[in-house]
Amino acid sequence: MLSVFAQIYDQPGFFLEVVLGGLMAGVLYSLVALGFVLIFKASGVFNFAQGAMVLFAALSLVRLMEVMPFWAAFLASCVIMVALAFAIERLVLRPLVNQEGIVLFMATLGIAFFLDGFGQTLWGSEVYTLELGVPKDPLFILESVFEGGVLINQLDIFAAVVAGGLVVVLALFFQKTKVGLALRAVADDHQAAQSIGVPLNYIWLIVWSVAGIVALVAGMVWGAKLGVQFSLALVALKALPVLILGGFTSVPGAIIGGLIIGVGEKIAEVYFGSQIGGGIENWFAYVLALVFLLFRPQGLFGEKIIERV
Amino acid sequence: MIYRETGQFKISYAADQAIFPIRQDLIGILLILAVAFIGVPLLATDYFYLAILIPFLILSLAAIGLNLLTGYCGQLSLGTGAFMAVGAYAAYNLAIRVPDLNLLVIFLMAGGIAALVGVVFGLPSLRIKGFYLAVATLAAQFFIDWVFLRIKWFTNYTPSGSVSAPALDIFGYVFATPRQHYLFVLVIVVIMALIAKNLVRGRIGRAWMAVRDMDIAAEIIGIPLLRTKLLAFAVSSFYAGVAGALWAFVYLGSWEPYAFGIDRSFQILFMVIIGGLGSILGCFLGAFFISIVPILLNQVPAALGVPISTATASHLEYMIFGALIIFFLIVEPHGFARLWQIGKEKLRLWPFPH
Amino acid sequence: MTTMYVPTSAPERTIGDVLLKVDDISLSFGGVKALSNVSFDIRQGEIRAIIGPNGAGKSSMLNCINGFYHPQQGTITYKGVVRRHMRPHEAAAQGIARTFQNIALFKGMSTLDNIMTGRLLKMKQNFFMQALHWGPAQKEEIEHREFVERIIDFLEIQSIRKVPVGRLPYGLQKRVELGRALAAEPTLLLLDEPMAGMNVEEKEDMCRFILDVNEEFGTTIALIEHDMGVVMDISDRVVVLDYGRKIADGTPDEVRTDQRVIDAYLGVQH
Repeated sequence: MLSVFAQIYDQPGFFLEVVLGGLMAGVLYSLVALGFVLIFKASGVFNFAQGAMVLFAALSLVRLMEVMPFWAAFLASCVIMVALAFAIERLVLRPLVNQEGIVLFMATLGIAFFLDGFGQTLWGSEVYTLELGVPKDPLFILESVFEGGVLINQLDIFAAVVAGGLVVVLALFFQKTKVGLALRAVADDHQAAQSIGVPLNYIWLIVWSVAGIVALVAGMVWGAKLGVQFSLALVALKALPVLILGGFTSVPGAIIGGLIIGVGEKIAEVYFGSQIGGGIENWFAYVLALVFLLFRPQGLFGEKIIERV
Repeated sequence: MIYRETGQFKISYAADQAIFPIRQDLIGILLILAVAFIGVPLLATDYFYLAILIPFLILSLAAIGLNLLTGYCGQLSLGTGAFMAVGAYAAYNLAIRVPDLNLLVIFLMAGGIAALVGVVFGLPSLRIKGFYLAVATLAAQFFIDWVFLRIKWFTNYTPSGSVSAPALDIFGYVFATPRQHYLFVLVIVVIMALIAKNLVRGRIGRAWMAVRDMDIAAEIIGIPLLRTKLLAFAVSSFYAGVAGALWAFVYLGSWEPYAFGIDRSFQILFMVIIGGLGSILGCFLGAFFISIVPILLNQVPAALGVPISTATASHLEYMIFGALIIFFLIVEPHGFARLWQIGKEKLRLWPFPH
Repeated sequence: MTTMYVPTSAPERTIGDVLLKVDDISLSFGGVKALSNVSFDIRQGEIRAIIGPNGAGKSSMLNCINGFYHPQQGTITYKGVVRRHMRPHEAAAQGIARTFQNIALFKGMSTLDNIMTGRLLKMKQNFFMQALHWGPAQKEEIEHREFVERIIDFLEIQSIRKVPVGRLPYGLQKRVELGRALAAEPTLLLLDEPMAGMNVEEKEDMCRFILDVNEEFGTTIALIEHDMGVVMDISDRVVVLDYGRKIADGTPDEVRTDQRVIDAYLGVQH
């Protein structure tokens, strides 16, 4: 244990690298978690299919880019995600409108599986590389402070900027627009919102479309980093611990939760993982979330649930 | 007309509480058992055993385990695969490290070890509910995946990471042919299904269902919540563990940790949802359905002259399962089991309209 | 196999010593004070009504008695033992049973099974016997089934015993909930608005059941109720709460003519 602290002290530059790398990975988790939060906030549904949506969006983008320039492909993919939102609202959400949360959760499980299969049937199941035009070579910063400098990936910086921009846009959307207000009303109480005239179906369509576009952005960034492939959907499972830390209904929570998980994972893997065989990243986030749940079941930013009889 | 209950009066509570109180049901189940124990061994081919019957039976057992936890006790679990893995590896290690241990004892102990692990990962259920608990079970799933992958002791330091089970030798009788495997598994599954049914129709099942329906009220009428939930985890993991050991020893023969990964957990969850939460019969229906679809997808298009690749077949599988889950949740959230019940109600009247 | 109910004690009611005493109970949630310095007692064998306007803290008081809420201040003395903090299942083990304002039945189970859950504390057979369901386990199951069937006869709900309670009308659900509470053979029965939403006939039936339980088994009953006619007719003593405070405590006649009660709650002289 102590040797770890000695290691950090010896090579602070390396430690900073690890932290920064973790932050960058965390940003990517946050992007996926954002989609979850949006849908949960506005419709109370825990969208297990968010990961599959990320994959589907990324596949659409990368395959369309084979026949058209990036901006056209991006726009076309947005249209596809909106169409998907439309289909989901019509075929799944509307028939299940008054069911309990657990039924809707299982329905999104069904959507996830369907999208996985459908996406790969439609677009193919190989690994596709996604070229975004961002230079791949790493940068060395802070060379004056740390010997040799600290390694940063330019793609990661790009991702962080994109994520930051997205959060700002979404925050403005929720707080400042009429639609945002309606979304918050729906999240609180479907029936009450309906009774004051909020058109539920329309609202859900908007939310799922926005979540779809967020998924597209997440898929774009993840895909550029890892290549577009099936495991992308599983990556989304990682967003669950993020949500637990950050709370299911908080946008800042999703960001901070993502960063914490990203950093925590990296540090655990680099400093502890090497001692017990590696591969800790697969479960560390979940165990961290689990420990968190035991002490604070509603997450960092979530709302405490009081049970009444 | 055929399925009439009139004339069947119960004159004791014991008769009323029987598993199959309606005579036609009892005859039906005896017929099925007769077919299973006598008819099938006479008629089935090896392919039938290996590709359909044995996996169906073993997965039904795992589905019963999950249904007890999620369907009857209301604790959502995405970690069934992990508990199957615990059972499989426990059985393996007992078999190769403890000499001359009876295989049946090994399976029982493997189930017991899986039960203990299940209790440990079920401890959070006192504080955590619903989706959050699902995440806790995911922690179990990924952590246990990692344990069997990285801690080489469990796989006896084999270079590839995959292990092979010893032969099924019980009291000197070796179960080697598919038919013998089938009968072995059939007996175990029937006995354990009966035990599960006994549990759910007694006080334990009622306590579980009370916790599922409204745990606050359950606590207020005196049900000890933690003990009830942990018992559900223990029994559920026991069943999953035995199923895992059977899957490894009887069906696969040799395996690696991926056989019990998150995909397996989802598969069992789907069986339980499609078959019907809170129904033992539903476990069998769901397992049968999910076992059958991949086979149909392999055979039918080729038979119709439209060959599809295995990759496409597996994608189609995903699509079909996903669509079916949604379909069932919309049309009949209680799955095949409820459809079966409705069918029986209609059969009561048939051929009369009402 | 008759299922006639045989009263085990004489129809003469005897009201005994104090069974439950609440002393200076105060309860708050965050900034909201639900109860302030409430003290009263309940005697063995009596029917004690707790009345008051909505939000007066009546349900909260019951929740404190059966351990669901823990008051910040004050003590509860039950069967002579002073309690600080009791968990709900401990209260149940001590013989306190209750019904709820918004029915807390197990919607996925039938009437029979719901009432059988009330017997759970008395079922002792261990896990392995349950798994085999023969011999002692089966015998125990049948014994409890017999007891529950007597309750079902008493409450006249034989025809719905196998119906999932989620499908029953409100009045019948309330009756089933009473049955579940009775199944535990409680010493103290807490009823939270047992007649809410019922018509006159259903109320008469419910009154009859409550009186029968009290007379035949000597069960002490604490009853929250809004129907003044019912309260005046069947209760021995009444406690009146308003904004979390006790404003009156006495026989129905005393309470009905108390000016404070009239101002706060009754309105016109009842």
